[in-house]
Amino acid sequence: MPELGRAALVVTLGLCLYALIGGVVAARLGRRRLALSARNALVAAFGSTVVASAVLFAALYRSDFSFTYVARTTSEALPTPYKLSAFWGGQEGSLLLWLLVLTGFGAAAVLLNRRWTRDLVVWVVPVFGAVATFFAFLLVVVATPFATQAAPPDGAGMTPSLQNPYMLAHPPLLYLGYVGLTVPFAFAMGALLSGRTDERWLVATRRWTLVAWTALGVGQLLGAHWAYEEVGWGGYYAWDPVENAALMPWLAATAFLHSVMIQEKRGMLRIWNVSLVILAFALSLFGTFLTRSGVVNSIHSFTQSSIGPWFLAFIALTVAVSLAVLFWRLPLLRSPTRLESVVSREAAFLYNNLLLLALCLAVFWGVVYPLLSEAVRGEAVVLGRSYYDFFLRIFGLPLLLLMGIGPLIAWRRASVRSLLTTFRAPTAAALLAGVVLLLLGAGSSIPGLVAYTFSVFVATTIAMEFVRGTRARKALGAASWPAAFSSLVSRNRRRYGGYVVHASIVLLAIGIAGSSAFDSVAEGRLARGDSLQIGGYTLVYRSLDERLAANATEIRATLEVTRDGRDLGMLQAGKNAYTIEEQVSNEVGIRSDWRTGEDLFVIAEQINPDASVQFRVFVKPLVNLIWLAGLVFLLGSAITLWPDAREQRRLVSRAAEIGLPASR
Amino acid sequence: MIALSVAAILAVFLLYTSIAGGGNPSISPSDLDGRSDTVQLAGVVVGPATGDAHADGLRFALEDIDPASGASVPVLYTGSVPDLFKPGRHIVVTGQLQDGTFVAEPGSMITKCPSKYAPKQSDDPA
Amino acid sequence: MTLALVLAALLAVAAVVVVALPFLRDPEPSSDTLDELDEEERRRLEQLEARDRSLAALKELEFDHRTGAISDEDYRTLVGPLRREVARTLQELGDGAGSSEDRSREGRPTGGRTS
Repeated sequence: MPELGRAALVVTLGLCLYALIGGVVAARLGRRRLALSARNALVAAFGSTVVASAVLFAALYRSDFSFTYVARTTSEALPTPYKLSAFWGGQEGSLLLWLLVLTGFGAAAVLLNRRWTRDLVVWVVPVFGAVATFFAFLLVVVATPFATQAAPPDGAGMTPSLQNPYMLAHPPLLYLGYVGLTVPFAFAMGALLSGRTDERWLVATRRWTLVAWTALGVGQLLGAHWAYEEVGWGGYYAWDPVENAALMPWLAATAFLHSVMIQEKRGMLRIWNVSLVILAFALSLFGTFLTRSGVVNSIHSFTQSSIGPWFLAFIALTVAVSLAVLFWRLPLLRSPTRLESVVSREAAFLYNNLLLLALCLAVFWGVVYPLLSEAVRGEAVVLGRSYYDFFLRIFGLPLLLLMGIGPLIAWRRASVRSLLTTFRAPTAAALLAGVVLLLLGAGSSIPGLVAYTFSVFVATTIAMEFVRGTRARKALGAASWPAAFSSLVSRNRRRYGGYVVHASIVLLAIGIAGSSAFDSVAEGRLARGDSLQIGGYTLVYRSLDERLAANATEIRATLEVTRDGRDLGMLQAGKNAYTIEEQVSNEVGIRSDWRTGEDLFVIAEQINPDASVQFRVFVKPLVNLIWLAGLVFLLGSAITLWPDAREQRRLVSRAAEIGLPASR
Repeated sequence: MIALSVAAILAVFLLYTSIAGGGNPSISPSDLDGRSDTVQLAGVVVGPATGDAHADGLRFALEDIDPASGASVPVLYTGSVPDLFKPGRHIVVTGQLQDGTFVAEPGSMITKCPSKYAPKQSDDPA
Repeated sequence: MTLALVLAALLAVAAVVVVALPFLRDPEPSSDTLDELDEEERRRLEQLEARDRSLAALKELEFDHRTGAISDEDYRTLVGPLRREVARTLQELGDGAGSSEDRSREGRPTGGRTS
C-alpha cells in the first residue's frame, strides 16, 4: 500500500498548488467559479491527506516492516496505542501530522466562513494553499513516510521514555497549537491582500486563535509533567531549545490575544496586531524547524537532516512576503485613534504586550546565541539556566503584577485617585501576605517572595471582580447568589473566562515559585536499613526487588516514609532495563501531599552490586499547583470559547444591515 | 513611550549577556588543547567507563563526533549519570581541563538521543 | 499492488472532479464575477463596526460603574465623550441609510446572497 500513500501525497501536493495558484488568479480577477474551485481543492487536499494518513496508520497497526518508517519507529512487541503514536514519533510522520492538521483546519476555516466573508475567504484560500504546498512538497520530495525496504524480522522499537500516555497526547496537542496559529495568520493576510480594513478577520478567527493558544499551553504543561514524572531528573523545564520552541509562539500568541482586545474596543493597533500574528506564525514555523534540524545543540536534537535548510528558506520567504504585504497596505491600516493616557487599560495591555515580547525575545536570543557566537567568534557559547531565570524574573514578575492591574483600570483614561481606591484592598492583602511569608521564612528567596506577594495581589483583584459582579447582578434582581453568579459569568463569558485563566496563571506562578525557589535536595548512598532526612521527612531504605515485565526488567528500591513519627507509607524508585532497545530508564518515586501540594521526589541514581543505592531526594513545595493550574486554564478557556447566542445574533443583524447573508 | 521601553529592554539584555556572560563556549575535544577555562565539551563516549560517579568518579574517554580528527580526552565525572549514558553515546559535559584530564562539574552531563524525538537528560539545576 | 494503483487512480479522479465541480455545475453562468463588497458596502460595514464598538464601550462603562470598578468621578468624566461618540456613529450610519432601498431599485441583490 505504500504506493497509495505516495500517490495520495502527490495528489495533495497538486491540489494545494492549485489552491494557491487558482486562488490567487480567482482573487485578482474576481472569478467566482474559479474561487470556488480553489476552495474545493483545499478541502479535497484534506481528503487525500486523510487517505495518506490512513495508509500510514494501517501500516503501523499491522507492524508492516516493509515500510522503512514503521521498522524504524516501532517493534512487534510494542503495545498498540504506542504503535499508533509512532505516527508522530519520527520526522516524516510528524510532517504528515502537520499537513493533516493544516489541511483540516484550512478546510474547516474556509468552509465555516464561506458565506459571510466571501471576499475575505477568496484570499485566505491561496495563503493556506501556500503553506500546505510547502509541507506537501517536503513530504513528496524530501522526507517521505512511504519509503520501502525488504522487511526485517522486527522493528527497532520505540525509545522507552516515549512509551507512556503523555506521548499519546503531547505532540498532537502541540501541533494543534502550532498549526492552529496558521488560521489567524491566513485570515490576516487575506484581509491585507483583499484591502479590507474592517475587523471581520479578527471576529472570524478569534476562537481559532484561542483554541490554538490553549492547545499550545496545555501541550507544554503536559510536556513539563512528562519530563517531571517520566524523565525524572527532578525538574519540569530545562530551557532546552525544543521546549523554548513551543514557548516562544505561545508568548507571542498571548500578546496577540490581548492586543486584539484593544483593536476590538478602540480600533487601534491594527498594524501592531498584524505584525504580532505574523510573528506568532513565524515562531511556530521556527519552532518546528528547531525541533527537526539539529542546528542547535539540544537534547532533543536530530541528526543533521536535510529538512533544516528547506524550513529556514520557507520561514525567510514567509516573513519577507508577509512584511511586504503589510508594508504595501500600511496606509489602509493606520487608525486615527491615539493612546489617550499612560494610565489606562490600553496602556496596561500595551505594557503587557511589551513584557511578553521582551520575554519572547530573551528566550529567542538564548536559543540562537550559540549559533550567532559561532558565526561571529568561531565558538558556540551556550547560555545556561541562570540567563533564562534572570529574564523570567525581570519580565515575568511585572507581568504577573500587571495581570491584577489591567482589568481594573478604565479604558481611555483613569485618574490616579481612583486607582488608589481600587487597589487599596489588594495592595493591603499583598503586603500582609508578604509580612506573614517573611515571618514563615520565605525571605530565603527574594524573587520567590515577590512572586508570592504579587500572586496574592492578583488573586485578590480577581476575587473582588467576581464578588462585585455577583453583587451587582443580585441587585439587578437575580433570584439567589448562585443564580446571580452563573448569570454574571454566562452574560460576560469572555471577561470572566479571562479572569479564570488569569487565576490559573497565578496558580502556575505560585507553583513555580514554590518548587524552584523554596525546594530542597539531599543525596546519599544508602545500604539496606539506612535512612535519609530531608524537609521533615525521614526515608528508610528497606528492600530491593527485581521483576520481569513484557519488554523490560524492572528494578525497584522500596523506601519507608515517615514524617514527625507518622507513617506515610512506602515509596518505590528504580530503573527499567528494556531488552530490545537496550536502554535503561529512570523510574522515579513521587509522593504527593494533597493538602500542601508538596512532592517528595526520589531518584534511585545508581544501584550498586552490593544492593546499596545512591539516592537523590527532592522536596518540592507547591509543585502540584502547576498541574492544577493546567486544569483551571482549560476551564477558563472553555468558558471564554463557549458559543454565545447573543453575540451571534448581533453579528447576524450587522451582516443583514449591509445585505450579506445571515448564515455562516 | 514605546521607544523608551524598547530601548530600556534592549539595554538590560546587552548588559546581561556581555557582563554577566552566563555562557560557556561549546567545543570538541580537538579544540581543548591547552585551554584552562570552563567549557562545555561535546563528544562521543569511548569506553570502557570505569569507576563510580557517586564515589571517586566515573572515568571514560571522550572523542570528537567527527571520526576523522581522532582527538580523545580522558574525562573524570562525578554526580548524576543520565540513563542513556554508554559508550557510543553523544554527550555534553561542562568542566575544565586539569593536568590532561577533563574534570567535569558534578551533574553537568547531558546525553543526546540523535535519531528520534527523545528527551533524556539529568540536568542538574544547580 | 494493483489494488493500491486502482485506489490511487480513483483518488486522483475524485480530486479532479471536486475541483472541476463549480465549472461542471454551472457551465453557462449569468455572471462569473466574485461577489465582493464594493466601496460603499465596505464603508458601511466599517461604520457599523464603529457604532457597535462605541455602544459596547458605553455598555462596559455602565457595567464597570455598576460593579464599582470605576468610581463616580471617573464615570462622570468618561461617560460624556462616550455618549457623544455613540451619537456620532449613529448619525454617520443614518446618513448612509436607505442604501438598501437604493440597491434594490438598481436591481442589485440586497440580501440572501447564496453560494
